[in-house]
Amino acid sequence: MIPPFALEICVVSLGIFLLMAESFSFKTSKVTLAHGAIFGLLCVFVLSFWTDLPADGLQGSGFYVVDSLAMFFKRFALLATILTLILAIDYLPIVQRLVPGERPEAGTGEFFILPVFTCAGLMWMASAADFIMIFCALELVTISLYIQVAYMRRSLASLEAGTKFLILGALSTGFFVYGITWIFGMTGETGLNAIQKSLSVIPVANHTALLFGLGLVLVAIGFKIAAAPFQFWVPDVYQGAPTPITAFLAVASKAAGFVVLIRVLQPFFTVPAFQEKLTLALVFLAALTLLFGNLSAIPQTNFKRLLGYSSIAHAGYLLIGLAAIGDSFAGKAVVFYLGGYLVMTFLSFLVLVPVTKAAGGDDLAHFNGLAKRSPMLAFAMLVAATSLAGVPFTIGFFGKFFIFEAALNQGLYLLAVLGVIAVASGFYYYFKVIRAMYWQPAGDEAGPVPVSPLSRMAIFACVAAILVLGVFPRFLTDLLP
Amino acid sequence: MPTLAHYLVVSGLLFAIGLGGVLLRRNILIIFMGLELMLNAANLSLVAFSRFNLLPADGMPNYNAQVLVFFIITVAAAEVAVGLAIIVALFRAKQTTHVEDLNTLKF
Repeated sequence: MIPPFALEICVVSLGIFLLMAESFSFKTSKVTLAHGAIFGLLCVFVLSFWTDLPADGLQGSGFYVVDSLAMFFKRFALLATILTLILAIDYLPIVQRLVPGERPEAGTGEFFILPVFTCAGLMWMASAADFIMIFCALELVTISLYIQVAYMRRSLASLEAGTKFLILGALSTGFFVYGITWIFGMTGETGLNAIQKSLSVIPVANHTALLFGLGLVLVAIGFKIAAAPFQFWVPDVYQGAPTPITAFLAVASKAAGFVVLIRVLQPFFTVPAFQEKLTLALVFLAALTLLFGNLSAIPQTNFKRLLGYSSIAHAGYLLIGLAAIGDSFAGKAVVFYLGGYLVMTFLSFLVLVPVTKAAGGDDLAHFNGLAKRSPMLAFAMLVAATSLAGVPFTIGFFGKFFIFEAALNQGLYLLAVLGVIAVASGFYYYFKVIRAMYWQPAGDEAGPVPVSPLSRMAIFACVAAILVLGVFPRFLTDLLP
Repeated sequence: MPTLAHYLVVSGLLFAIGLGGVLLRRNILIIFMGLELMLNAANLSLVAFSRFNLLPADGMPNYNAQVLVFFIITVAAAEVAVGLAIIVALFRAKQTTHVEDLNTLKF
C-alpha cells in the first residue's frame, strides 16, 4: 500500500526524468519519450488502485483531501493525459512543420512532457481542500496549458489562440484571487473545512461581502469550465490550438474546473441563506450556457470549432446537474456524465487527427465520404457523434438521462425542458458530420486514411466503452463515489 | 493611523484600474500590466485582512493568507515569463501587439 500523495510525486518525477532524458540524450527519438510518458502514466494509473484511503480523508492539516471523488478524478486525469499523448504522437508531423529548429525533431520534446506536468496539476486539483492549494494547482495547469496552446510558433492561429487564452486565463486568475481575498476576509480562513465551520457564526452583515467574493470565484471557474457568459475564448482557442491540446483542454481542464466547483460550493450549500442564491446563479448559468452552446454550434463548418461549441453545451448539461446537487443522485450523475464525456470527446479527436493528417484540414468537408474510404474510422466517428448527441444505447444517453432525472427530482422543470430542447438541436449539428461521412461523395484523390496501431487500440477501447456502458451503465455507476 | 477600510479602498481601486486597463486598452503589453495590477490588488487586501483580523485565540494574524501572497507573487512571475514569451513569439510572427490585429481565427 502506498500513501495517496505519492501518486503526484511519481507523476512529477516522471516529468522531470523525461525532461532530463530529453536534454542529455540527443539520440533518443522524441516518440520514445512519448512512449515512456504513456508507460509511466499507465504505471501510476495501476498504482492508484493500491493506495490506502485514510479514514477521515483529510491529510496535511486540511490542505489535501483524499476521498473517492478525488481518487476518481486522479484516474480521470491520468487517462485523459495518456489519450492526449497518443493523439500527440499522431499529430507530431504537423507540430514538426510548425516549430522552428535546425532539425525536424528539434523543439518537439516538450510537446510530450508538458502534458505530464499538467496531469500532476490536475491530480492536485482533485485533492485540493484549501484555497492556497487550489490556486497553486490551478495555476500549474493553466500556465503549462498556455505554452501547449501556443506551441506551434510558426502557425499564426496557434499563437493567436495562445495569446487569447493567456489574457483571458490571467484575467480569470485575477478574479479568482480577488474572490479568495474577500472570502478569507469575511471568514478568516483559507481551508474549505474551516470556512464551513465559520460560516455558521459570521454575522449576517458580512454575507454581502462573502457573496461578492464567492461570485468572483464563480466567474473565474466559469472561465475554466467554459460556462456562458464567460465562454467567448473557447471557439478561437479550440480551433487554433494543436488538436491534441484542444482535446486536453476540452476534457481535463473542464473536468478539473468542475471538481473545484463541487469542492468550493460544498461548504456554502450547507447554509440555507447561501444555497438559495447559489442555486439561482447555477440555474441561470446552466440555461445561458445550454442556449448559447447549442445555438451557436448549429452553423459551424469547422469540426474543431464545432467541438468547441459542443463542449460549451456539455458544460451546460453538467451545470444542470450541479444546480440540482441537493438531490442525492445528482453528484453521481455529474461524475458519470464527465466520465462519458471523456470517452466520447477523445474518440472524436482520435478520429479527427488521422483525418486531418490525410485530408489536410479539419473542416466538416474533409470528412466527406469517409465511410467509403475508411469504414472503421467512420463507424468510430458515428459512435462518438451519436453518443455526444445522446442517442440511446450509448453512454451519452445515460449521462443526460441521469442529469435530467436529478433536475426533475429537484423541481427544476424549466431547466429540464430547456435541456431537452438543447438535446434536440444537438442532434442537428452532430448529425452534420455523420451526413458528411455517409452521404457526401469523397474528393477525387482521397484514399483510405492510415491509422497508427496505438491510436487504433485507443479508438477500439473508446468505442467499446461507449457501447458497453451505454447498455450496462451499472458498471460505471457502481464504481462512482 | 490607516485602518482596514483604507487598505481595502486602495486595493479595490487597484483592482478597478487593472480591470479597466484590461477591458479598455488595445495593446497586449498594457493589458498584461493591468492583469498584474489585479493580482497585486488581491495581495494588498490579503495582507490587510490578515493583519487587521487577528485570531481571537492568541491575538496573532492568520499567516495562511500571507503565505498565499508569496504564492501569488511567484505564480505571477511565472505567468509573466510565459506570457511575455508568447507575446514575443506573436510579435515576431505578426509584427504587432495590438488586439485588433488578432483576427486570424474567425467564424
